[in-house]
Amino acid sequence: MTTHYLVLSALLFAIGGVGVLVRRNAIVVFMCVELMLNACNLAFVTFARQHGNLDGQVIAFFVMIVAAAEVVVGLAIIVTIFRTRRSASVDDANLLKY
Amino acid sequence: MTDTITAPTIEYLLLSPLLVVFGAAIVGVLVEAFAPRYLRAAFQVPLTLLSLVAAFALVIFVVVKDGVPNKAAAMGAVAADGPALFIWGTILLLAFVSVLLIGDDFVPSAVAVPGSVEEERAVSEGAAHTEVYPLVLFAVGGMLLFAASNDLLVMFVALEVMSLPLYMLCGLARRRRLLSQEAAMKYFLLGAFSSAFFLYGTALLYGYAGSIDLSKISTSLSSVGGQDSLLFIGAAVLGVGLFFKIGAVPFQMWKPDVYQGAPTPITALMASGTLVAAFGALLRVFWVALGNLEWDWSPVVWAVAILTMVVGAILAITQTDIKRMLAYSSIAHAGFILTAVVATAGAKQNSLALSGILFYLVAYGLTTVGAFGVVTMVRDPGGEAWHLSRWAGLGKRSPKLAMVLAFFLLAMAGIPLTSGFFAKYAVFSAAVSGGAVALVVVGVVASAIAAFFYVRVIVLMFFSDPAADGPSIVMPIATRGVVGFAALATVVLGVFPQPVLDLASKAAQSLFVR
Amino acid sequence: MNFASPAFWPPTTQEIVFLLLGVIAVGSAVLVVTTRQLVHAALWLVVSFGALAGGYLVLTAEFVAWVQILIYVGAIVVLLLFGIMLTRAPIGRSADLDSGNQIAALVVGVATAGVLVSVLVAGFRHAYMPLTPGAGAAKPLGSSIFRTWVLPFEALSVLLLAALIGAIVLSRTDIRGR
Repeated sequence: MTTHYLVLSALLFAIGGVGVLVRRNAIVVFMCVELMLNACNLAFVTFARQHGNLDGQVIAFFVMIVAAAEVVVGLAIIVTIFRTRRSASVDDANLLKY
Repeated sequence: MTDTITAPTIEYLLLSPLLVVFGAAIVGVLVEAFAPRYLRAAFQVPLTLLSLVAAFALVIFVVVKDGVPNKAAAMGAVAADGPALFIWGTILLLAFVSVLLIGDDFVPSAVAVPGSVEEERAVSEGAAHTEVYPLVLFAVGGMLLFAASNDLLVMFVALEVMSLPLYMLCGLARRRRLLSQEAAMKYFLLGAFSSAFFLYGTALLYGYAGSIDLSKISTSLSSVGGQDSLLFIGAAVLGVGLFFKIGAVPFQMWKPDVYQGAPTPITALMASGTLVAAFGALLRVFWVALGNLEWDWSPVVWAVAILTMVVGAILAITQTDIKRMLAYSSIAHAGFILTAVVATAGAKQNSLALSGILFYLVAYGLTTVGAFGVVTMVRDPGGEAWHLSRWAGLGKRSPKLAMVLAFFLLAMAGIPLTSGFFAKYAVFSAAVSGGAVALVVVGVVASAIAAFFYVRVIVLMFFSDPAADGPSIVMPIATRGVVGFAALATVVLGVFPQPVLDLASKAAQSLFVR
Repeated sequence: MNFASPAFWPPTTQEIVFLLLGVIAVGSAVLVVTTRQLVHAALWLVVSFGALAGGYLVLTAEFVAWVQILIYVGAIVVLLLFGIMLTRAPIGRSADLDSGNQIAALVVGVATAGVLVSVLVAGFRHAYMPLTPGAGAAKPLGSSIFRTWVLPFEALSVLLLAALIGAIVLSRTDIRGR
């Protein structure tokens, strides 16, 4: 039973990671990061059950709040850059080169 | 489960530097809300500077009153020990000088060339950005907490408290807005990506140990059997998140972009304060939580250190932009510090390496703030002159400034009689006595490569002719003070380093609280 | 009670419910990553998060489940939809939503998933958890947060304030142009 949850969490983490690498729209990239954070949360809650302590659930709660703060900041940045560039594509943003 | 909640015990005195910084940030927000616009800067600057000074004084007071503490405060959330307090002092000092740079860059609108229309416009709008002061204080508070966190959840929350304001501050440069906003977006997306890795690593370690307390993870290493691969993968994924924050290769790609695009005072804060805080957290994770696992992680850190030193030094040579060059140099310096992170063997050796790292962080932090301070002074009509060709002949146009910058660059290269020499000597000798001789050889070679591009800039400044329409030099009093202080510190630490070395070794003596 | 050797067959009700939820969560996550329509990505995200909330309920983490619904589905996705709206993203199919490095990303993703899954399965093959309701209620969680975790909780409030102020600052910077 535990393994099912953990496998689901690992799959979601990998899917989110692929999404971050593949997608070009900053908002969708950010959605994929949220998927990864959710994968972490699932792992925390599962381990909390596994170890019989509450820490994992508390952490999951914290992570959700942090994610909310991150969304606020991220969208503010993305909307600002859109206003000056009229595009939210990650690849268009390439004034900065190696 | 009883119906009443037992109140948690909070050691307010030990946490007071942290509380002062966060408290001042909140007062700053209130000032933004209620003070009239023309008064805000007059409130914010002294408030920010005073709170940093007060926090610094409280750090000293804590040590003087009860000696170096060695306990976990606030229900085990914050580690109050020698290294934490030393790092707190360092961060507060570096934040103070960086804030002085900000005071110069945003508020009196020195960004524009004197007398231009742009300056007038900036003056009328300049007061609008006083929110940067509370944001900087939030970030500094996050740094303090990050370096002193005693469990991985506090570390994660502190990481975000530190990073979120910095993401936004990166996008606030008045000149070259597109570049700045792009830097903010890249920093944000990559930062969020890396904190997801940090978190998954935390989850795996929690699954392994059943706790996220650093010392409990350490004790579980001997008691839990049969899940070693879980532990290794968890430590590796967690390490990715931490290496990203210090900008170690292969997770360095954000650093040049962000350092270039961010407003220069913010770059100075990130290059000094964030690096110090991130090393504090990294050391805590690797030495306290995973200390008994050293044989397994040290080869990886070896490889990362070598890559970081070499890639940072080589890529710096190809740069034509002074801020990008300083960014790559900061990557290389992260690699130099990593050489001492590997050098663990026994408590005595550890405290030697730790004191070397602490001294390096102070010396490098002050030098780099000074260098970025010089960058803010050399101005083109469109803002700061970043391109190296604009710096040609600066030695003839403004010999004093060029000498100071040359001195900073020599200190970064590690020439004797500068703080950089003793700093490098401290980490490399710790690494040698920790058995990492090969690493030190690579380090010395990388230093030589790095010295090449520092000298190249010096040659460019002193031995080429200035362009006819060269950049103008703007010297506001506060920036001059910061650069002068940084230069003085670089000299003093280079000629007479013993007091700070003693302080660092005293702080490192008891090692981290477990 | 003996948890040591649970029978894998026949599956319990909890397992069946969870498997269904898991399939929904993974399927909609894949759709988030592959769909050609921005708004659909956000909506599939709702489905995925909702399925995970169901998973938390099966795990008897009721408080976390409801917070998941409130914050993720209720706040975060709504904010993301606002973001899509404010950046005038095209409603409908857009061709250039993916970058060119799909193959490399897929390889990385499969490798990550492979490593994580094998590690987790190897580590917890014989683990079995007793699912007794009640442990994840708001009360024990609350007393844990306000005792053991009180400092990170306060730091969290500071974080929210900083995010709020920063967002206001960022959104205000462009006013001067008008």
